[in-house]
Amino acid sequence: MMLSRRTISIIKRELKVRLFSRTFIIMTLLIPLFMFGIMGLQTFLIHYSDVENAFLIVAAESQETLNNVQAELSKAPKNQDGNIEFMFEVLNKKKVEVRLNNVRDQIIEEKITGLIFIPEQALKDKKVEYFSKNPNNNLLLNRVKQPINKALTDIYFVGKKFSKDELEFARNNVDFSGFRISADKEIKEEGIGNTILSFLFTFLLYMSLLFTGQMTMTAVIEEKSSKIVEVLLSSVSSRELMIGKIVGTAITGLVQMAIWISPLIVLISTTWFVLPAEFTLKLSMWHLAFFLLNYFIALITFLGLFATVGSIFDSPQDAQSGVWPIMMLIMIPFFIAIGMQANPENQIARIASFVPFASLIVMPARITLVDIPWLQLVLSIVINITVMILIFILAGKIYRVGILITGKKPKWSEVVKWFKYNY
Amino acid sequence: MYALEVKNLSKNFNGIKAVDNASFTVPEGSVFGLIGRNGAGKTTTIRMMMNIYVPDTGEVILRGTKIGQEFKDKVGYLPEERGLYKKMKVMDTLLFLAELKGKTGKEVERNALNYLKRFDIAERKNSKLEDLSKGNQQKIQFIAAILHDPEFLIFDEPFSGLDPINTDLLKDIILEKKEEGKVIIFSTHLMDFAEKLSDHIAMIDHGKIILEGSLSEIKSHFAQKNVTLEAEGDLSFLDHASFVEKVENFGNTVGIKVKEPSQTQDLLRLLVQNNVKVNKFASNEISLHEIFVTLAGKDSNDVK
Repeated sequence: MMLSRRTISIIKRELKVRLFSRTFIIMTLLIPLFMFGIMGLQTFLIHYSDVENAFLIVAAESQETLNNVQAELSKAPKNQDGNIEFMFEVLNKKKVEVRLNNVRDQIIEEKITGLIFIPEQALKDKKVEYFSKNPNNNLLLNRVKQPINKALTDIYFVGKKFSKDELEFARNNVDFSGFRISADKEIKEEGIGNTILSFLFTFLLYMSLLFTGQMTMTAVIEEKSSKIVEVLLSSVSSRELMIGKIVGTAITGLVQMAIWISPLIVLISTTWFVLPAEFTLKLSMWHLAFFLLNYFIALITFLGLFATVGSIFDSPQDAQSGVWPIMMLIMIPFFIAIGMQANPENQIARIASFVPFASLIVMPARITLVDIPWLQLVLSIVINITVMILIFILAGKIYRVGILITGKKPKWSEVVKWFKYNY
Repeated sequence: MYALEVKNLSKNFNGIKAVDNASFTVPEGSVFGLIGRNGAGKTTTIRMMMNIYVPDTGEVILRGTKIGQEFKDKVGYLPEERGLYKKMKVMDTLLFLAELKGKTGKEVERNALNYLKRFDIAERKNSKLEDLSKGNQQKIQFIAAILHDPEFLIFDEPFSGLDPINTDLLKDIILEKKEEGKVIIFSTHLMDFAEKLSDHIAMIDHGKIILEGSLSEIKSHFAQKNVTLEAEGDLSFLDHASFVEKVENFGNTVGIKVKEPSQTQDLLRLLVQNNVKVNKFASNEISLHEIFVTLAGKDSNDVK
């Protein structure tokens, strides 16, 4: 792609307005803050919207079971915060029904959170009943499940002559340590570092594509509505204008991304910082280079689409109605990439990493999680560059017509006709 | 020698012919007026001349070669709908637009400052465009159009929306550039301006060029059979006079067209015979407006 002197002038102006501006500094700081803010909020919601002031009646048919359960529940580390209050009662099946009738109103008013009934049968089948206004409160049940299980197991094994160690073993869950097999021959234990990293990559891509895209769209609408566009077109062609704007903005975006991932570069190329073993990253400069190249292609592709939508409409309000298909092209791959972290080799993720548009967002997440043969990486780049060029040709056709048309909001059928216009 | 030749330009939009086989020539050193009512196809024609639109058919020839991108560098263009980057500073805007035309460096900056001084807005050179008054924004737009010292000036409806001060300013620019030997092409629906400023014209109506040539030749051609009359009294008898082809009442003046050039003397005789008080009787004089109405018909209300 040859850049003319005029295109370079446009790029220079874009860089002046975008890169060397206060907005750039603010956004460069704000987007990661926003990202960590969201991640923090999520963690906060999971951990701190925890059980609060629950009042549980724990009933068992036998005193022995009840005593054991009571001991385990009050011993459990999770229950040391005093957020759950327990009341222990020996009740049989019939009495439970009577008791429930008595406290029904209090349960409905949430003065009593619920009643857990452990029948003697539970010593054989571990089936426990829970009566509550909200019987699916997993957070609450998770806190009591393990202690009750432990109590029942202990009673079951009493007199069966197992040592404490043996019981401990039986109770423990299997603990998987992940080792990644790669072409490197050396087998390394895999921490959660790369999972976090793939999440970071995906999130950064998603946020910055949406932000820069919207910004470009608004800028095109502004040029159109402020009528400067015709002055520009008296000097440059619509193609030069579009390329200049998009390349200028894409360079700005690339610099921004490089700033964001620069801590990673320092991390893997120096020994200044040492991460705890479980966070160790399996990451090379090649990964980062691929990530940046892929991001640049993504920017040019999506900015082309956003600029086109901007050129069709006169006001940002109208443009919102045209921009959602592009948002979908970014959001759907985003969800695939996030969902993929449970199993990076699932079929949808594999396919998506070669599907135009989706590849741009899914592939960077995949390469951080599994080893991808370099041939596949090259293939995805070839696919993405091809799509980028096609988008440019098609978008250019709409853009050159759209930027000169003002007035009423065009219908999609009209926009389709613009392809055939000989502008 | 023609500076610019427009040959058989046509342009359709959704099946509507905006410009229909338009041809005209712009001589070197001329001030050329493209005249027509609103929607006649002036802007579309100019955009094709500027290579902003690609014509369906036809071409524009610049001194013997078809125009392309390099033509744009030689043109200063003032579009009908004016606009600049609102958030950009005055000087930055001027330098950026000059850079797009291929002019950079200290020289351009000095020229820009000179123009700003001449137009009395030098102290606003570091203001954002949006902080300037509308009149001052128009001044910046003029400067932007001429700063790179173009050989051609193409102004689309330059006088619409201008305050009187800027109207005079723009007239001065046009005359000054004419003195320098530049080619000035402007479109207008204001016949009065066109008549005063241009030496060559083309009239466009419904996308077709209906008249083209040097203004003085056109006027003398039309004037031979035309009389401009200022008179008091009843003129209704003229409708029945055998040698009168058409009577056009413009309010203060009446335009009368006779069938043969020699019959203007018969007309004067007839007026005297009918006791009309003649204040002004000008044969061989016709306004561009009258010519336009004669050619394009009466539904020319938006033309003045």
